[in-house]
Amino acid sequence: MKQIIMFPAVVKETRYSTGIEVPVYEPKNRNPSVYELYDNAKAMNLIARINESSLPEQEKRFLIQAAYRHVVFNYELIADFYAHANKEVQELMEESALVIIDFNKAIELGYVKVCEDIKHQYMEDYIGDIQDNGGNDDQ
Amino acid sequence: MINKDFCVCILTHGRPDKVLTYKTLLKCGYTGEVYFVVDNEDKTVDRYRENFGDERVIVFDKKAMADSTDECNNWDYRKVGVHARNACFDIAKKLGYTYFIQLDDDYTAFKFMIDTKSTENCGDRKSIKNIDKVFDLLLSYYKDNNFLAIAMAQGGDFIGGINNGVGSYRFSKRKCMNSWICSTKRRFKFIGSFNDDVNTYTILGSRGNLFLTIPLVSIDQPATQSGKGGMTEAYKLTGTYIKSFHTILMHPSSVKVAMMRTQNIRLHHSFDWKYTMPMIISDVYKIF
Repeated sequence: MKQIIMFPAVVKETRYSTGIEVPVYEPKNRNPSVYELYDNAKAMNLIARINESSLPEQEKRFLIQAAYRHVVFNYELIADFYAHANKEVQELMEESALVIIDFNKAIELGYVKVCEDIKHQYMEDYIGDIQDNGGNDDQ
Repeated sequence: MINKDFCVCILTHGRPDKVLTYKTLLKCGYTGEVYFVVDNEDKTVDRYRENFGDERVIVFDKKAMADSTDECNNWDYRKVGVHARNACFDIAKKLGYTYFIQLDDDYTAFKFMIDTKSTENCGDRKSIKNIDKVFDLLLSYYKDNNFLAIAMAQGGDFIGGINNGVGSYRFSKRKCMNSWICSTKRRFKFIGSFNDDVNTYTILGSRGNLFLTIPLVSIDQPATQSGKGGMTEAYKLTGTYIKSFHTILMHPSSVKVAMMRTQNIRLHHSFDWKYTMPMIISDVYKIF
């Protein structure tokens, strides 16, 4: 999962990394074909074998439903597809939880804030006690 | 602790005199409430009560919990941790808490893991001195968002360093292991008697539920299968082959097994996140 770095933090100590990598995906410009969003080769293979079998219809139906567990969804491409889709498709995708919408950047900004707050807590705990190397509390 | 609606639940079994996590919490300045979650099949329950007091040792009915849990097998083998994990929701609610963190009993440290931009010194890894404050910060984020659970990172996440040359904290933040912050109002069920944490975030995560790891804080624990009690017996009985395959059974479209070439070489689950978790994307892409 490729993630994006946003909002470089304001930290006085230049010794520390200033970027926080947020767990939010940035959709790409390319609109993928709907056929790229999933790989059902294994499921179709299983279903073909089930259909060729002499099992009772009800058992076939069960096994066919179970075969769909092997469909591989590419959620990065699905997010790219969502970003180019119309309102109706988007709503159906949301209902099926194919993407998670970060409303008002609550997840993203909250994540940056909690990481920054932890970093500040660290500096508060260890102010004046920070060395370039060594001094770590390893077991 | 600012959050009085929060408690710590330490899940423990057969180690009444060696609950390392409790000592570590105190060392890190924890002042809130702690409960010891023990099952009724543990022969050392009385010793737990002696050590920690009746009111803080909470015993749950393990068989009853097992009967209501999808164990992913039919072995009726209960020397596993998933039942304590599931029991915590009712226990916290009965005790009057909305939020809790469930911890294993063998943590030797709670640490800051701070990136120093250097690939040479593996970052700053120092013990948390005021864990009340850290729990409050994590809780604040958890309460403001619709996560099912969030967790601290764990030692193994940092193999190769906090900054491994490719970037900082390169493991996926969508996982959730070990130190689960949960709510009685956001109930979910842990799945599987083995690999319960991975099964749970994989299956529920693939259906759009949110889990997250906050990488700047981490727990340390001894190498897996090195201590007595806990899950060690179960892992030694079946090896990690069975453990890893539980997750494949539950989510065959994206999970594989691979050799984990650490000091203790063993099979381990492996999956590509882009085939497992729906992406979180900004609402700027949504047509309102």
